[in-house]
Amino acid sequence: MQLTITGNLQSEIYTPTTPPPVWTPLTKAIKDCKVGLASACGVHLKSDTPFGKAGDFTHRRIPSSAKGNELMVTHGGYDNADVNRDINCMFPLERLNELVAEGFIKSVPDTHVGFMGGGGVQDQFKSVTAPAAAKILKEQGVDICILTAG
Amino acid sequence: MQREIEAQGIPTVIIAALPPVVRQQGSPRAVAPNVPMGANAGEPHNVEMQTAIVKEALLAMTKMDQPGMIIPLPYEYHAKI
Repeated sequence: MQLTITGNLQSEIYTPTTPPPVWTPLTKAIKDCKVGLASACGVHLKSDTPFGKAGDFTHRRIPSSAKGNELMVTHGGYDNADVNRDINCMFPLERLNELVAEGFIKSVPDTHVGFMGGGGVQDQFKSVTAPAAAKILKEQGVDICILTAG
Repeated sequence: MQREIEAQGIPTVIIAALPPVVRQQGSPRAVAPNVPMGANAGEPHNVEMQTAIVKEALLAMTKMDQPGMIIPLPYEYHAKI
């Protein structure tokens, strides 16, 4: 099919495009993996600076040793009722620690990553936030990253 | 975010409450329990469900051999509004 492209004209119909695929193969068994978390739920330590609810693209380091009651979310984009009752329903930190004890996974990094997804400045997320999060996980030798978002 | 972490060489999986959004955004791997946005990893204080969702998200990774796959997970929670 030949596409008709006319300069300086834009379709009135919003047509989202799916970006090209990205893929890193998983080469280890799950039980041999260090598993990190990165969540868009707006999680942070209660002692840390909360996210700004209008387009904050910063991130927070979450120690894997943090207790559930030391964490909270700041996020204006979804109903926080469930996550306020139990942080694990968006940020399953305690579940992951239990999986290490059980031997289902090998370990967790000392630091996970929290950020506030759901909009904001997408370019900044792509060029600043995401590389910073990836670097934190990469430096700790994380084999798998579980995200919660969307 | 997921795509960037994946591009940096770490295999990723996203636990998603909104699989169509995840698909459109080009997620490399996703699992989708039947949960509302805000309880992606399962019902509050339901340790059994949360553990199962995290475990199956990891196990699903071993079954995915190409980008863009979304595997539904058989766990259901409806928030009481």
